[in-house]
Amino acid sequence: MNRLLISIWTIAIVPSSLVGCTVRENTETQATNAKTGTLALVANGEDFIRQGFVSKDGWQINFDHAYVSLDRVNAYSSDPPFNPSGETQLKPTQTVSLVDKITTVDLAEGEEDAEPILVTQTDAPVGTYNALSWKLVPAQEGSTQGNSIVLKGTASKDGREINFTIGFDRELEYTCGEYVGENRKGIVLAANMAQVETTFHFDHIFGDNSLPAEDALNQEAIGFEPFASLAQNGQLKVNQSDLAKKLNSEEYAKLQQAITGLGHVGEGHCRSSSNIER
Amino acid sequence: MTNRHKLNYLASFLLFASLGFSRQVLAHGANIVYQQTPAIEVKATYDDGKPMSNAQVVIYAPDNPAIPWLKGKTNEEGKFSFIPQSNISGNWDIKIRQSGHGDIISIPWQTENVASTVESRDNMPNSSNWLASANNNYNPIQKVVMAATGVWGFIGTALFFSRQKSS
Repeated sequence: MNRLLISIWTIAIVPSSLVGCTVRENTETQATNAKTGTLALVANGEDFIRQGFVSKDGWQINFDHAYVSLDRVNAYSSDPPFNPSGETQLKPTQTVSLVDKITTVDLAEGEEDAEPILVTQTDAPVGTYNALSWKLVPAQEGSTQGNSIVLKGTASKDGREINFTIGFDRELEYTCGEYVGENRKGIVLAANMAQVETTFHFDHIFGDNSLPAEDALNQEAIGFEPFASLAQNGQLKVNQSDLAKKLNSEEYAKLQQAITGLGHVGEGHCRSSSNIER
Repeated sequence: MTNRHKLNYLASFLLFASLGFSRQVLAHGANIVYQQTPAIEVKATYDDGKPMSNAQVVIYAPDNPAIPWLKGKTNEEGKFSFIPQSNISGNWDIKIRQSGHGDIISIPWQTENVASTVESRDNMPNSSNWLASANNNYNPIQKVVMAATGVWGFIGTALFFSRQKSS
């Protein structure tokens, strides 16, 4: 009888303990999988800012500085993936805070072929960060105080040259889906770095001479001529209040719409909302 | 880049063909066999409705979202079709880009659901065989039978080793 019991114990219990080991190993594997990586936030004004471009009305525009002030930048793993063109709300399963105080970035920093500007980076759980939200807010201090966007540079056309400083004080909030570009971004692997990107399309304001005049972008852009008409002695320094007074209503409405459409994630679009409408 | 685009997908599971196979052995014959397979078709358009013709298409499978699973181009109508790998359920991501415009869409793909969807639409009795089922759930009766079989196996083996040797 004892022999029978020993046999049962050997055959039944030993495999069970082995199963127990396997379960423990699986648990350890899951713990390994739960490791973190690094998520970096970059800001990109694209080649329009880094290299300059010709506006829809023929002004060659070059930027010395293109400041944007960011706040409350969060990256999300959203399930289902967020569609900014739809009506559904963002449903995050994971949120990583990247910026929680007003941070001003110069998109024109670096050479013409510079990489997008690194804003910050932080530890993040492994995962796919397929949505991003951020605010454009007026800076509270420094040379751009009171403005959420400041563009400084030179515009030239037909021998005329204008040194400009244009400030916008709009406060905007963008909620975006996944970055769309040549490479995929936002996928954090254990002990690796991934990026998410705030992208600004300034051709929406000035238009793009390389595109046909009837292209939707040029139809919706204000161009540079309305700004040039406000310059005196080759100098233009205006803020949004000045523009609201001096541009005609149609031009100003176009400008407002263009500013609202600045924020992207690469080529991917964002849902935008404004707290200030003038 | 204001000329925004829309990426639409038709959740139509294209039926590329059908079932039975019949082969004859001929020395110089040619044989074509076929199998019904569900596929996904996407259509990319700009905001003004124009198709994104000949646009770059990159597809990512749910099990490896960082590495492209398939690359291709849309046709003149902005359409692209592909057949997801049958045993990979989850969100299949399709990115379509052209001349600075682009979008990405996630299409949830459940192998079991696909099989049942196609079956209900087309009343194909063998459609559940198209895709390997990812569902490993067993009903209570199956579990009891499996457990009883395992226990009986232990006892039987123990009895075997504990049997009295005949001298």
